[in-house]
Amino acid sequence: MIKVTIKCFSQVKYALGTNELILELDSGTTTSKLEQLVREMAEGKLDDISLRVAVNQKYVPNEVELQDGDEVAFIPPVQGG
Amino acid sequence: MVTVEIVNGPISFFSNDDSREQNGAELIFNGRVRATEHGKNITALEYEQYEGMAEVELTQLAKATCEKFPIHDLYCKHRIGRVVVGETSLHVVIWSKHRKEGLDAMTWFITELKKRIPIWKWAILEDGSKIPSECSHE
Repeated sequence: MIKVTIKCFSQVKYALGTNELILELDSGTTTSKLEQLVREMAEGKLDDISLRVAVNQKYVPNEVELQDGDEVAFIPPVQGG
Repeated sequence: MVTVEIVNGPISFFSNDDSREQNGAELIFNGRVRATEHGKNITALEYEQYEGMAEVELTQLAKATCEKFPIHDLYCKHRIGRVVVGETSLHVVIWSKHRKEGLDAMTWFITELKKRIPIWKWAILEDGSKIPSECSHE
């Protein structure tokens, strides 16, 4: 098992109702699998929202296998400026 | 040289500098909070950042802008927290030899900022409620 922290912002925070989640996952869990889980937890509230993935505060363009202690964020469209 | 800062409070604008003898153009952009968001009246926007990542990404973007365009310096301050209608949330200054490269750099920098920097807006409505902003213009 691995433990990861999910940071929640904007629509993800709104959908899940929290700033942060700590989850225990099977070893070998990938970012895609975790995104699927997060979308299921949101019960449809994230269905129309595209999410980019950041692991340990860096964007990851492709699916990666998560490691114990990773910090993950599913980043909805940004709105700076 | 780039100077980037994310601040939780009013932005102090870049002070005037008359010693820049090689800079024919000094471009200043101030992004301000509008009174409406998607047709709804608001009293303020509340900016949320991914702390740590936002400033790193913004610094990398500022450096990339200086490499992509022949500009001399870029100064950027982005505000987080509550910013009331009319106040400045983003302050950017670019210095260049001529205006064209400065204008091109400013457009590219702000466009990319709105694509990749992990900062979001929450709209504060007139009744005090807070909802994620729907505004994500590039």
